[in-house]
Amino acid sequence: MSIQIRDPLALLPYQSGLVTTITEEGAAKGQSPLDSRQKAAVIGEPIPIVFCRRVSSNGGVLVSPAATEGRYENNSTTNVLTTKIHLVLSEGDMDQLPIKDVFQRACRVGTWAQTYDRRAETWDPGNFIVAVATKKFWNCPLYCGTQGTYDNMTTLSFINTHDDESELWDRQVHCFVRNGINVTRILDDTLGPSNNVIDLALYLITQSSRFPSSMVDLTMMEDAALFCNANGLFYNGEFKESTNLEDWLQSISSDFLLRVSDKNGKKGLRPRLQTNANGTIKTTAIEPVFTFTEDHVIIESFEIDYISLENRKAITALVLWRQQPDSDIGIIRSAEIRMTGLADNGPLEQYDLSQFCATEDHAVKVGTYRVASRYYVTHTLRIRVAPSSFNATLIVGDVVRVRLRRETNVGTVSYHNYFYEVERIARAISGVISLDLIHFPVDSQNRSLVGLAVNAAVGNGYTVPTGRTDFTCDIAGRAVDNTPLPDVGETISPINDPPVETDPAELGNEPDDGPTDPVDNPEDPLDEPEPEYPSGPNPGVTGVSDPPVEGETANAVPPCPGGKVCWYRVRKGSVADIEEAATTPNRVTIQCETLGTSGWEAGASLVLTNDDIDHYIIAEATCPDPSSPDGFGEPSLIGITDPAIPDIYSYQYVRWQGILISTSGFPTAKTTDWTSFASPGSVGLYGLWGCVGNVQITSSGGLTTIPTLGPAPWRASVSTTGLITNSTGSYGLGGLNTSSTGVSPCQGTSSSTQVALTWGGTVEGQTISISGLWQFSNNQSTVLAEWGGFT
Amino acid sequence: MSNRGQSQYLRIYDNSQTYVRWQAYYINQTITLDSASWSYNPFNADGMMAGSPAGSDVTITVPATTTAISVFKAALNNNRLCEIKMYEFDTRLSQSAPISTQSLIATYVGEVSKISGNFTELSINLSSALSPVGAQVPPRKFTTLLIGAPVRL
Repeated sequence: MSIQIRDPLALLPYQSGLVTTITEEGAAKGQSPLDSRQKAAVIGEPIPIVFCRRVSSNGGVLVSPAATEGRYENNSTTNVLTTKIHLVLSEGDMDQLPIKDVFQRACRVGTWAQTYDRRAETWDPGNFIVAVATKKFWNCPLYCGTQGTYDNMTTLSFINTHDDESELWDRQVHCFVRNGINVTRILDDTLGPSNNVIDLALYLITQSSRFPSSMVDLTMMEDAALFCNANGLFYNGEFKESTNLEDWLQSISSDFLLRVSDKNGKKGLRPRLQTNANGTIKTTAIEPVFTFTEDHVIIESFEIDYISLENRKAITALVLWRQQPDSDIGIIRSAEIRMTGLADNGPLEQYDLSQFCATEDHAVKVGTYRVASRYYVTHTLRIRVAPSSFNATLIVGDVVRVRLRRETNVGTVSYHNYFYEVERIARAISGVISLDLIHFPVDSQNRSLVGLAVNAAVGNGYTVPTGRTDFTCDIAGRAVDNTPLPDVGETISPINDPPVETDPAELGNEPDDGPTDPVDNPEDPLDEPEPEYPSGPNPGVTGVSDPPVEGETANAVPPCPGGKVCWYRVRKGSVADIEEAATTPNRVTIQCETLGTSGWEAGASLVLTNDDIDHYIIAEATCPDPSSPDGFGEPSLIGITDPAIPDIYSYQYVRWQGILISTSGFPTAKTTDWTSFASPGSVGLYGLWGCVGNVQITSSGGLTTIPTLGPAPWRASVSTTGLITNSTGSYGLGGLNTSSTGVSPCQGTSSSTQVALTWGGTVEGQTISISGLWQFSNNQSTVLAEWGGFT
Repeated sequence: MSNRGQSQYLRIYDNSQTYVRWQAYYINQTITLDSASWSYNPFNADGMMAGSPAGSDVTITVPATTTAISVFKAALNNNRLCEIKMYEFDTRLSQSAPISTQSLIATYVGEVSKISGNFTELSINLSSALSPVGAQVPPRKFTTLLIGAPVRL
């Protein structure tokens, strides 16, 4: 059984990004300090990604790269300081920057070089400052860095000179990047700079190697990219703060009116608003793809959750963005967006887009979406529906209508009648479909109210002046010099710090291979099922012949000191065989003997008597067990013998006593005369003998079964069964043989010393039998023993 | 009376080849769909969901046969993809083979992200391996190999 638990419906607005929780508001993150000390790279820091594209005099970002190497030397006479700094601008490759776009502080100064995938310029790092008399000593860094490979990075070299006593030698370097790293743009499939956040997302997904690119829904991503382009939602920023990819996708999607979605297991971003084919916001009537009524909704599956007051209360959205002048530092701007007449005096809710948003319309549309959604979207809905014609076509993002009849007042019918956007579809093998829906507010013409508001939202278009009036620190002509930075650099041989690798091929072991050795656990002496015989395997019942003979002494040894041995007998014929005899409860106890803790190895003995003749003899052992009521545990079999036989040498006379059943079917009892015998092995009955007159033949011609032809020593019973019906022929069975007389069964039953039957013809299935036993005596009157004989 | 039937198909593959094609509807039959053979192996993929990220995992339940253990462990070890397709069809038309008019109503592609269960039954989670924890982007960091020992300012 599996239990499927759905997230509470109340979480849907948060999970879908409709409602965001602002936990911290502060200074705009897009603000970059201009006149600060040069910062150095630190091992472990993320390598920044400069992602931007300046289009129509808009976009780009001012970057303050970190230094990795430095060289400091001064003139031994004038004390003029020459500083050389190596910097990492970005991961990836980008176009050469024009020289007008590189600064130290706010000034276009120095000598620059830019390269990719190698170290920029060829100077060696180091501190070569010398003291100059009467001049101030340059207190430059002593640890100037070592060289690296700069694999897949855009690097810069900056060289500048500083007059004696200058305090500006360690100021931060800045670059205004109009076109960031080159990526393959999804919309035109071209390698180049991009300002589309979808391209950045795809780049990060690919580079992070967190999941295969085949699990990205490129169709959905392309639609989202088109939406961003069509509505002027562009990314122009430096991505350098380490974060979780999924968190970043969730966060950034909200700021571009997108939402993270999952379609057929593939991830993607899709617009929060209904769009036209060209990506623009749809402002015409919305046609729902399906209307769910009472015919579809499963009873009691209707679950509604109204968005809470704190997330509905009118706010003024304060959206921070960055006005990005051409070739100058960005100016942080704020845009205030509210519903008319609401929240004029707050509360304010701040959305900081300043790290990447460089257009006012982008900021205004995001703010409008926030305030309009708060105003118009009132609830979420979860219903379970039976499958219908929509089953193969309904997808996430579709707009559906739910119209359910409500009868709560006499004579009045009302309807729950709204448009919804499908946010989640969950399918079960049972066919039931669970839909998570978000209220999709429309006007009287079925146009999206939020869509109309966002589409109409545009910025004021006011441009704030930079406030800078002094450009004298620039080298003359630099401000308009579009000369690309020279591509000068050197490839450094890999330093001796490669990644440490473990080669599974050398180890030669697949992750799932198991041991090949057999199981070899040590034995637990406390967990043995039964005590073992100390001297070896169970010897069984010893001291007797096979079969045992009356008068012999049987011996059995228990497996433990202080054990008990019990002897039992089971009559032959009451069980099918010796295996059944060993387990049958129909047995007679002969005797039990408890042995001591010393000398127990000799075992217990039993002298067989004539009562044991024709009985299986069983010996069982039980070991001491203080936890049982009688002080002994479960019995275990020591051994069992074949049925015992008499000691025929101890008797002088024998006779046969039994029943004869001939063709009439009636039994005839007979007891023979006593016979003295000198050679005991010669006594027994014949098998079947065919007779012609008194001539004996040994075959019945397949007319009847033939017992083993005798005389069989000490056989006391014999029988035959007709195989077919045949009216002719003459047959005989039996005939007692002794040491002195041997009589054919053809001679019939007339003799008092003989046991035999004769008859004519055969009847199919008819059995002729002689069954009896041997009686022994020493005086021809007292029967001392009886024996069923051998079979 | 509804004559709607739903059948599920499972495929494990990577960029180079398909390793397994299973179907769980036509008992003890190997059927042909999309010019490929799908053998019968009982499984149950429930909770196929599309939409916002929460709860986007799909769980497959299979008997813990030697074949199933081997197939899914290999998929987990080698980052193979698992695709589930659910079709809808009219049960009156055929119960012995897929019909050409059946409709694809749901698809899910995910990596085998987790396997658990007991000695007789396995539960396989399909999802992206996009971990919700851990800093992952920007993906590259400054290392000694890349920048040496950086200047100390």
